[in-house]
Amino acid sequence: MMKKRFNGTGWLFASPYLFYGVIFFIIPLIWSFYLALTDWNLIAPVYEFIAFDNFIEAVQNPGVQAAFFVTFKFMGAFVPMVIVSSLIVALVVHGLPRFKGLFLIGFFLPYLASGVVSSLIVKGLLSYNSSINVVLRESFGLDIDWLNSPLSALLVVAAIIAWKFTGYYALILTAGFEGINKEIYEAAAIDGVSAAQRFFRITLPLLYPALFTTLILSIGVSFGIFTEVYQLTGGGPNYATNTWQMEIFNQAFTNLNAGYASAVAIIASIVTFVAIIMIRKILEAWGKRNGWV
Amino acid sequence: MKMKKSSLFLSTSILAAALAGCSTGGDSGSEDGTTTIEFWAAPNPTQQVYWEEMAEAFEKENEDIKVEVSPMKESPTSEAGIQTAIAGKSAPTMSENINRGFAAQLAESKALVPLNEIEGFEELLQNRSMEETIKTWKFADDNQYVMPIYSNPMLFGWRIDVLKEAGVEEVPKTYSEMLEAADKLKVKFPDKYIWAKPDLADPTAWKRWFDFFMLYDAASGGNNFIEGDQFVADDAAGVGVLQLLADLRERDVLLTKQATDPFESGLGVFTDIGPWTFSYWEEKFPEMVYGETFDLALPPVPDDVSTENVNTFADTKGIVVYASATEEERAAAMEFMNFVYSDPENDLTWLETTKLPPARDDLSSNEAFTAFFEENPELKPYADAIPNAIPSIDNAKYNELQTHIGSMAVNPVVEGTTSPEDGWEEMKRAIEEELNK
Repeated sequence: MMKKRFNGTGWLFASPYLFYGVIFFIIPLIWSFYLALTDWNLIAPVYEFIAFDNFIEAVQNPGVQAAFFVTFKFMGAFVPMVIVSSLIVALVVHGLPRFKGLFLIGFFLPYLASGVVSSLIVKGLLSYNSSINVVLRESFGLDIDWLNSPLSALLVVAAIIAWKFTGYYALILTAGFEGINKEIYEAAAIDGVSAAQRFFRITLPLLYPALFTTLILSIGVSFGIFTEVYQLTGGGPNYATNTWQMEIFNQAFTNLNAGYASAVAIIASIVTFVAIIMIRKILEAWGKRNGWV
Repeated sequence: MKMKKSSLFLSTSILAAALAGCSTGGDSGSEDGTTTIEFWAAPNPTQQVYWEEMAEAFEKENEDIKVEVSPMKESPTSEAGIQTAIAGKSAPTMSENINRGFAAQLAESKALVPLNEIEGFEELLQNRSMEETIKTWKFADDNQYVMPIYSNPMLFGWRIDVLKEAGVEEVPKTYSEMLEAADKLKVKFPDKYIWAKPDLADPTAWKRWFDFFMLYDAASGGNNFIEGDQFVADDAAGVGVLQLLADLRERDVLLTKQATDPFESGLGVFTDIGPWTFSYWEEKFPEMVYGETFDLALPPVPDDVSTENVNTFADTKGIVVYASATEEERAAAMEFMNFVYSDPENDLTWLETTKLPPARDDLSSNEAFTAFFEENPELKPYADAIPNAIPSIDNAKYNELQTHIGSMAVNPVVEGTTSPEDGWEEMKRAIEEELNK
């Protein structure tokens, strides 16, 4: 039997990340669990251990309940938006005879744009007296309250984030398209397959790994929305855009309820974890049922 | 073995470096008897420069005290920055930019020193001529936690050019006059609004300072909203404010959709204005001329309330001393404040650089400021209104309470989903529930 040997070099190279992980993830995580069981606001010298009261209060809170449902509503709007748009961009770029990289960089740029700046620009574009709204009102009689109506506010935020991520996901999907052997299409053409058959029987199965990645990534994004909502709607109207991050921010930094905010953060983490696992299983089952994996 | 030792050494060094990076460092005292105090200025260059100059002048006269001025960290807000600094045991000795509500939150957590317990505070109030102004700043526990630097009595701006075109010659002072002006405006300009303010439909707590509290303070004659843990608001005044909003909504002169520069563009003819607006207008909207395109007025009041000495909300911030400061640091902090505020010239410099009215009783009568107000007539109404300005509520739950005012009363009333009476009752119930938690 081989004796396990201490590998100093391995530990040495791993140590920066280990220290980083311990200091910035493990300790805060344990600390957050502890905090969630107290009524501490981080600054008071005296606080009480209140067991699971914060969790009980959180699940009854309309803001937290809204955050739960709003996340899935965002997902329902954002994921199809970003997947369809990134597929279109990837298809267009894939079909280009040259300068593919240049175009991909162009589409990728919004990903680097500040959420604050893009939100402020959108706020200006959708303001009551913007050119868009003046034309809509005067030519079509449409007076849309973009950011004060629950549905349009949610769609606007989803659209901004979709715009931001389209180029990034298109990059992944383009790589997926590039990996498909052209001879398969040639063989299919000889066999006389239709365009729809080509897409559903060849492209989609072979693109599935890249599509799976972008779907999981985009679902993950739905659970972490903050900047755009903070800038555009503040979680309103009537909690219609109140995300987990907004709720945690408001409780921790506006109301100074650090213990309660930790409880909300833990609930959010559990919901996120469970939801992503479930969605991942569904996607895998979908792939398996069609024989793509 | 050698590798084991070197990796252990390197790992220890990295950990030590990381921990050193987390250290706040610095001891306020030193062997030569110098006391160092840390002062966090508001996170804008103008105020930072002002405090750096004050610190430099102070150090020349007080060689045993060193004042280190740095900008307040905004991560992601200045309040959050302070909260994390206190939690991380790296709070400064003192800081400015603290409003009364946030001070109440900090005071409840014993994070602030009552200034009245530091020797020299009474002298400071006398020297700065602010014995009247400070009265409204007293907290529910009878302590003074904040030394107010400036007090912005919030005023309403009226687009007098548009109003004149609509046949309104005088700025409305009462609710009836305002509604009459609304009717005339709508006849002449169907596409314009009296009040174009998206914030009216937003429940964010601080937004109530610049709509509801301005009108409520005026209607109630400055009656408190909360006293300690008691809801003591003037019901009739509160319902009256909501009724005004409902009446404006019914006349279609209230716009709550997001609009760009609605007052400046003339889309709305009425808006809350603070003194900070004028520098922005000078640069971006030079056509906004005081007395020609716009006028300033105290909030409109119900018809049965006097239009003289009308109260309004005071947007005001001040200096606090943190509980983590040592006795020497607290004394040094008070000396620094006394130095700055014993000379009206320092307040004049503040006024000239920030345009924010110093919280002094004698701002409109002290000769030191006369020339300034002659050159800046649009700021004079602010100075005149200081004695009638009411600061924000001092309850530690002010965020939750003010969110209820928005979500239960103001927002649904302007959306037309509830009546003023029902909205007020719902709000009152939610606030009392919050206060009893």
